[in-house]
Amino acid sequence: MARFAFVVPPLAGHINPTLSLGAGLLAMGHEVGWISPDEGLRVQLPPGGELLLISYDTTDAEKQQGSDYLDAIARKNVYGIESIKFLYEEVLVPLNRYMYDGIVHWLQTYRPDVVINDHQVFAAAVAAIHCGVPYATSVTAPAAIKMREDLPMVHQWETQQMVALQQQLGLPGELSVACSDVLTLVFTSRAFFGEMELPGSYCFVGPVIQHRPAAVAFNWQRFYARAHKTCILVSIGTTFNHEFKKDFFSKVATALKDEPVTAIVVSDPDLLEEWPENFIVERCVPQLQLLPLLNGVVCHAGHNTVCETLLHGLPLVVIPIAYDQSYVAARVAQVQAGVRLNFKRFHAAHIKNAVHEILHNNSYRMAAAAIQSSFEQAGGTAYAARLLEGLATGVVHC
Amino acid sequence: MDSLVPTHAPVNSEDTFAVLKTFIEEIIGEDFKDEIDIRRDSSFTADLELDSIEIVAFSEKVKLHFGSKLDFTGWLSNMDLDELIALKLSDVIEYIEACR
Repeated sequence: MARFAFVVPPLAGHINPTLSLGAGLLAMGHEVGWISPDEGLRVQLPPGGELLLISYDTTDAEKQQGSDYLDAIARKNVYGIESIKFLYEEVLVPLNRYMYDGIVHWLQTYRPDVVINDHQVFAAAVAAIHCGVPYATSVTAPAAIKMREDLPMVHQWETQQMVALQQQLGLPGELSVACSDVLTLVFTSRAFFGEMELPGSYCFVGPVIQHRPAAVAFNWQRFYARAHKTCILVSIGTTFNHEFKKDFFSKVATALKDEPVTAIVVSDPDLLEEWPENFIVERCVPQLQLLPLLNGVVCHAGHNTVCETLLHGLPLVVIPIAYDQSYVAARVAQVQAGVRLNFKRFHAAHIKNAVHEILHNNSYRMAAAAIQSSFEQAGGTAYAARLLEGLATGVVHC
Repeated sequence: MDSLVPTHAPVNSEDTFAVLKTFIEEIIGEDFKDEIDIRRDSSFTADLELDSIEIVAFSEKVKLHFGSKLDFTGWLSNMDLDELIALKLSDVIEYIEACR
């Protein structure tokens, strides 16, 4: 039996895969903890999982200030390449600096055999090196890796930001340690990721979605009584603010109000004064439970939502807003599993046509099914958990 | 590579602008080209609202058209992120002219 510690940022898309993986490890008889600055994570953990909360003495002004960055990501509208600068300068670097001491504290007290750092929590890799604990990396946004090749200058700049912080934390050298050179778990398949030469430590395990009970209430009665059998999910994830959402969902409402489809929309119902009759609007939905019952998904091309959709063989309309979403959306279009629109330019008519296209042109569904089978073959939760177990005993076979 | 040698290489900066304008129109699509005013001083991110993958697509088109005469990727790689965010069409035209 071994002890594992995940280190996660307070971002749903980065946490979710670790919940499945952690539950898998717990089922194999291991001990698992999650190091996070977010108290809210406690209720999401699988039974037996332990929250290792990063919290500091409230009299420490610098640390207090640090916690202000935690929700910065939800407060600002950012788009395109500029969003990458925002992500590092205003979110990731301050967040990593804030988390570092807490991570070191937990590595010394919880004493895990293996640390699993999210690729954006590079401070956890530095802490693991300093504490002499082997670490694996969980890559929840693989497009960031792909950027090395396609936008080398952006990748260079990202590396500089990470290395500068590593040096401040006392780790010399010019190379980023964010991704483990022993085991880096990438939650997609090679077929969806695309061509790129990578070190042997990169293991494409596919999406990991097992062991995640639905924690949200949903009006299933209304769902089963819906007027139109054809049903799509419309979501732009958890990180964008009010203004972006309002603009986006107004267009979606105009586009789909007279279409013979039911649209399940993930949004604050108060966002628009009025929603069309064929819309079911919920603040939260049990996405994994709904997907097997749907015909397609319209989303912002967040990596998790896209992979979960493709894992169910469903076609997509992708409308990327920021960060790595442009890349994820490009992959959806390249593998022909969906239609890509530009967030800044699309009109209601485009989304109407795109939804019609993915629902009625069978080629999108067939392409999605091909990615689905590549995901199923990648091994998923059980395989990833075995790789981590191997790392604890010193054997890694990717 | 012979296949990359352009058949209609532009001879002056007006022609270069016209070629680059066509690339941007191809990227943003037929539906939108009348909605966006593409000018020499347009910036890729703020004015033309190209996202990162569209900038990559633009860069591919430039490389394919102007071929081996210029090291477009190398030129872009020497920029820091702020320069890339502020990059304008006129910067690309000047670079292409300078490589002539």
